[in-house]
Amino acid sequence: MNLAVAFDWSFLTENGDELLAGLRRTLEVSAIAIAGAFFIGLVLGAARAHRVPVVSQVAAVYVEIIRNTPILVQIFFLFFGLPQIGIVLEPFTVAWVAVTIWGGAFNTENFRAGFEAVPHRFREAGFALGFGRLTTFLNVTLPIGGRIALPSSINTYISVVKNTSLMYVISYPELTTTALNINALTLQTVETFTTLAVTYLIIVWTMSASIRVVERRLALPEDAR
Amino acid sequence: MSFLPDWAEPVLRYMLEVGLKGTLQIAAISLVGSTLIGITLGTLLTIKFLPTRALIRFYIEVWRGLPILVTLFLVFFLLPVLSPRFEFDALISASIALTLWGSAQVAEATRGAVGSIPKEQHEAASALGFGWLGRHAFVILPQALRRLLPPLVSLLVNIIQNSTIAQVIGAPELLESAERQVERLAAPTPIGIGEIKAFPIYATVMVIFFLISFPLTRLAAYLEKRLT
Repeated sequence: MNLAVAFDWSFLTENGDELLAGLRRTLEVSAIAIAGAFFIGLVLGAARAHRVPVVSQVAAVYVEIIRNTPILVQIFFLFFGLPQIGIVLEPFTVAWVAVTIWGGAFNTENFRAGFEAVPHRFREAGFALGFGRLTTFLNVTLPIGGRIALPSSINTYISVVKNTSLMYVISYPELTTTALNINALTLQTVETFTTLAVTYLIIVWTMSASIRVVERRLALPEDAR
Repeated sequence: MSFLPDWAEPVLRYMLEVGLKGTLQIAAISLVGSTLIGITLGTLLTIKFLPTRALIRFYIEVWRGLPILVTLFLVFFLLPVLSPRFEFDALISASIALTLWGSAQVAEATRGAVGSIPKEQHEAASALGFGWLGRHAFVILPQALRRLLPPLVSLLVNIIQNSTIAQVIGAPELLESAERQVERLAAPTPIGIGEIKAFPIYATVMVIFFLISFPLTRLAAYLEKRLT
């Protein structure tokens, strides 16, 4: 078997700038989506855990729709379906909106589970100290439940980063789209896809390593379990 | 289905007969492949032998770490360049990509499930004269399978949803069949109707996926609660 495994290093100097621009857009969209997913997860997760009327039910429907349909179809719907009813969105808008909505749904479940894992007696202790519902949430449920939810929410953020690659279908020039364009021009398939894969692995592995660090640093004191 | 507009019936039929069929084909191949490879690798991972562990760990981390779309491109574009023998059509390429990803998920879950079987079970099986293979095949894995069932149902949901990436390379699955119909309808008559029907068609794709996924996610949650 004759494998063509020679890696032409000049590929990186010639296409480095373009790839970096693509990487920057990937990180940009990811950063917006992670912030958005954090916020959505926090608010809706709290509403779900505390059974806030109406909000809780609406959040449940949102979560089920997003989790039970493929994100690629959601992207198609936003980018190709909505213009038919007069809503035309830029590729960049679809890029961050799609992953934010997706990440928000999964994060709602992460935070709901985290908040529900906080023992009931802790909240009662908060009320006994004269805290209101919101103050109890901010001072008791959030610090404890938020830590419990942290590892699973970082996993969701990792998936958010990976899912930005799907913006290839709407030609938003993030990392994957950029790499495919370069491949079409240079035909340096080995170099292009090796670089693409290694870059994603570096990002994803760094993020998963951070879960372990965060878990250790934010570990709950023994008696708070 | 007379309540549907005229253009809808052939569209729906095509999506179900060509698209859904392709989606289920990809899902079936990937589910079987992921389960077989994943359970094997996950069981081997419990052997305390460093080189195999490092190798399997690397396999798991790579295919879990890469976006599935990138894995698909590696299979579809890179493999044929490495050797013409590795050239597969779109449907098979998608199945291979999903199997690589899925087997990594199953391997990780299997490691946990096999590890959760008490040591006494291994010892009892050894005492009965089972070797490593017999012990795992007849005593440990059947018990571990109970714990594996909920993650395997979740995996099926994820495989079905992720099979849509096959659209990117033009494999005939549900999303691709929908896209073809949107384009056909946009053409003037007699081929199409000269109108864009992207909104109802992609909404229908979402509904079909929801109808498949929702019962399965419920089932996974139910099994999770019952079996653990």
